[in-house]
Amino acid sequence: MEDCVDLILTAGEVLLTSGAEIHRVEETIERMGRAAGFARVEVFATPTGLFVSLYSPQGQVFSRVRRIRHVSNHLARIACVNALSRAYAAGNISTAELREALAELTHAAADPSWPLYVGSALGCGAFSLLFGGSFLDAAFAALVGMLVAALSAFLRRFPVPNVVTAALGGALAALVARACGAFFAVDLSKVILGAVMVLVPGVIMTTALRDMLSGELVSGVSRGAEAVAVALAVAAGVAGVLSLGVI
Amino acid sequence: MVMTVLAGFAAAAAFAVVYRVPKSEIFLCGVAGGCGWLAFCGARGVGEVGAYFLAAAAAALLSEILARVRSQPVIVYLIPGVIPLVPGGMAYTTMLKFLQNEYGAGLELLAATFFAAGAVAGGITVVSSAFRAFGSTKNRREKLR
Repeated sequence: MEDCVDLILTAGEVLLTSGAEIHRVEETIERMGRAAGFARVEVFATPTGLFVSLYSPQGQVFSRVRRIRHVSNHLARIACVNALSRAYAAGNISTAELREALAELTHAAADPSWPLYVGSALGCGAFSLLFGGSFLDAAFAALVGMLVAALSAFLRRFPVPNVVTAALGGALAALVARACGAFFAVDLSKVILGAVMVLVPGVIMTTALRDMLSGELVSGVSRGAEAVAVALAVAAGVAGVLSLGVI
Repeated sequence: MVMTVLAGFAAAAAFAVVYRVPKSEIFLCGVAGGCGWLAFCGARGVGEVGAYFLAAAAAALLSEILARVRSQPVIVYLIPGVIPLVPGGMAYTTMLKFLQNEYGAGLELLAATFFAAGAVAGGITVVSSAFRAFGSTKNRREKLR
């Protein structure tokens, strides 16, 4: 039974680092804990840490903490862990099979990065149109957005805080957009706004308020603080570059 | 109008790729985003905040249905589906105004951002808690049998 403890925590950790909702993480751990035969499962998940206590029927208690540091959205992984935990709870797969599948998931080679760049470019272009930009603005937003995505993917290899990535990304977006603006008749603010869409914390902010509304106050406050910090950092990067030439 | 709905579809599908949804679901994520944006355009008459609420509720409803039909977690469709609605760009513009010493415009945008995010979160929460409540009674009945 003890060897299930780490397995359950790993499943929770994969969910949290892939950007799953708090209630999904807690439900998954409870479901897997019960399936593994524990009498009582206590779990407290936050965006920055995971705390679990598992009570065996013999009266032993296993308490573990996992620190969650780097979160990057990976919805396919969430779907995969979700399916695994349900299959495990229904008794369709054994503990050994679950361990193997989770190890495969955590040690999988990094996904190819070109879909990320293409997706970022298309997304930034589409947002530029949604904000009322012209097709030329959208084309430049797509180009600049792809560069910003490449920069943040590059910075992810180093232990750089999120806020620094956001500020540098904002600065790069403003710099390249200004360079393009010198040669083409584009609406600079629309190009920059579209290009920074890969950095801005829209989803984080909405998730923060969703957590608040469902009573997850600790997660709500910490995600809200993250959203404010990231939005400020992006704006600082952009404002810094935009003010350069004015002086 | 058609143009912007297509842009909403493209934004949702593109961010579905960025958030690495399973490849087979990318198109449906785009559909959820396009429908959400269509609902937003259609509901603008009730005011900006109400439109955000209704559009997010529509996107969440479609996501819940898609999740059940395709047996995927709801989050796979929900996050890309509300991408065109979430006020990330607004949050950035708010901070930019503050940094450029336009405090009046910044405060106005801050309130707009807060209410837009709250309305989107509220729309999602209303739909998902309705589904969770319904789902759990169904489960309980199955257990009783």
